Amino acid sequence: MPKCLVCYKWTLDEQDIKVKPEDLSLDSSRAKGKISDFDRNAIEEATLLVEKNGGAVEALSYGTAAVKQSLKDVLSRGPEKVHWIADASAENADGAVTAKVLAAAIRKLGSYDLILCGEGSSDLFNQQTAPRLAALLGVPCVSFANKVSIEGDAVKVTRKLDDCTETLTVKTPVVISVLGEINKPRIPTMKQVLGAAKKPNQEIKISELGLKPEELQPKATRQSVKGFVMHRKNVIYKESNAAANVAKLAASLATEGLC
Amino acid sequence: MNFELTEEQQLMGQSAREFAKEYLDPIAVELDHTGEFPKAAVKGLAEHDFLGLILDPEVGGAGAGFVSYVEVIEQLSRSSAAVASILNNHTMAAYAIEKWGTAEQKKQYLPELAKGSILGALAIYENGPTPGIGADALVAAKQPGGYVLNGVKAYVRNAGEAGVYVVFATLNAEAGPKALTAFLVKGGTAGLKISEKVETMGLKGCPVAHLTFENVVLPESAVLGAENQGLEIATKVLSVYSVAEAAQTVGIGQAAVVHAAEYAKQRVQFGKPIAVLQAIQTMLAETATDVHLARLGMHFAALRIEEGKPFEVESAMVKSFLVRLGSKMLIDTCQVEGGFGFSEAMPLPKLFRDIAGTNLLDAPADFPEKTIAASIA
Repeated sequence: MPKCLVCYKWTLDEQDIKVKPEDLSLDSSRAKGKISDFDRNAIEEATLLVEKNGGAVEALSYGTAAVKQSLKDVLSRGPEKVHWIADASAENADGAVTAKVLAAAIRKLGSYDLILCGEGSSDLFNQQTAPRLAALLGVPCVSFANKVSIEGDAVKVTRKLDDCTETLTVKTPVVISVLGEINKPRIPTMKQVLGAAKKPNQEIKISELGLKPEELQPKATRQSVKGFVMHRKNVIYKESNAAANVAKLAASLATEGLC
Repeated sequence: MNFELTEEQQLMGQSAREFAKEYLDPIAVELDHTGEFPKAAVKGLAEHDFLGLILDPEVGGAGAGFVSYVEVIEQLSRSSAAVASILNNHTMAAYAIEKWGTAEQKKQYLPELAKGSILGALAIYENGPTPGIGADALVAAKQPGGYVLNGVKAYVRNAGEAGVYVVFATLNAEAGPKALTAFLVKGGTAGLKISEKVETMGLKGCPVAHLTFENVVLPESAVLGAENQGLEIATKVLSVYSVAEAAQTVGIGQAAVVHAAEYAKQRVQFGKPIAVLQAIQTMLAETATDVHLARLGMHFAALRIEEGKPFEVESAMVKSFLVRLGSKMLIDTCQVEGGFGFSEAMPLPKLFRDIAGTNLLDAPADFPEKTIAASIA
């Protein structure tokens, strides 16, 4: 019976983020939080595995103070307990920092058979956290998973790659990062939402993890994030014959460096 | 003072929105065309605990408050007000049984209503000016051990699908509504006939029909509350219902604003999106404001219901506000979409019909303005 841990990220809902027309900067002041999309798949997969094979599912998240808003949401989706680390360092954390924090927390929490992550986060999608986490824990990592099943003390995983699928078995403990197509996350029922408040949550202070301050600093610093807006040139070629219009269009595209 | 929904209330709304996208968006247009009862969607409502949302956990309900309930109704109505209307009518029947039922009645009906193995329905209206008056008013004649009901209840929602009807009948045709008494009538009771489905302008898929009672024999235990308490029960239930239906209107209005705003950003005229034109901005802004203020009023009234405080005036205010402005929300958003908005290929005509139906049906027993005026003068 597997003991599963799902790592998830609390991100801003991209649908609520507006691009400011004056400088293309992003306005997220009214954006709500959500569990990162592929992480929902990871939560669902762990829950399905435990429903089928027995065992237990817990969840773990590292984020800013806003991560506290995620606790009832994640608990309504299956996990029996959630551990959370709220620290300002998460604001600029990259995959390397996140993996160090999660690995330290997992060492503190104990052993797990399966550690599931989403393939990438909804906001940055760097696909770094799962492989780095596995490396830090010294366990195998299986990425791009679109099918997972328990086979005795091993796990059978099908990976969806660019032009083929690969099926493999791996001994636990293992870190698995899942794709969005692996399952369809359940919609929490009203009783599951209301029952989430009765499930336990445990805060882990980042000071308890034994990490040095420099380990919480990302190597790369983000300079800016700008929205992308397509501007139309509104040019209409009105020559009397089509060939002349095409010639002008081709010349214009060449000037723009597009052909 | 806090105007924000609690975390649980937001999560319930989020689940309802996810449910609506998965179960209702794919069927909403077809439902509007065929008017067929959406069995799979109602089964989904049951599986996600929506049918027992406000009922006590002891009978299998989720035990949520009324603010959570209206948040759920709003989110469902953004996709299908017809399905929300089925849920509203069911829940109001269950609410009446939970509030006025005997222990035996609660035990008999509430667990089944909560898990959705049966639907509930309210049968209040008649063809006469008010229940209890008119040639075909439903009259309950007392007889040893019970009652015999004869007459017609009109425009009953969930008719033909419900397993239990909360039916209001007068014990005395001359006393009319003053002798109104509520009864619990099982679907399929001998002598209870369901008419052909009434074709409605909107909310298609929520079945509406007339119930004809021909010598329907009921035991004394079928009375809900006490004899002659029917008017009080109907008035109270309709006042709660007004808030629940306000959530339908707010949901429809929200859907209309979102669609019209999206359209305005994409529709280019004179070289720029029409969303930058002041006339369009004014219509969108006014509609968004009306939806927002209606939502605040609705949440306030719902909170008073949840907290057991007097809520009738606030409920009447929400009803009055939305009767005046609900249809305007759709007139203005259709105007934003111009000729395209008039097309059945767009969602606004359906929303227009649904909002009209929501505002026309189930007014409080008296005009809401009368209740409001009585509270201030």
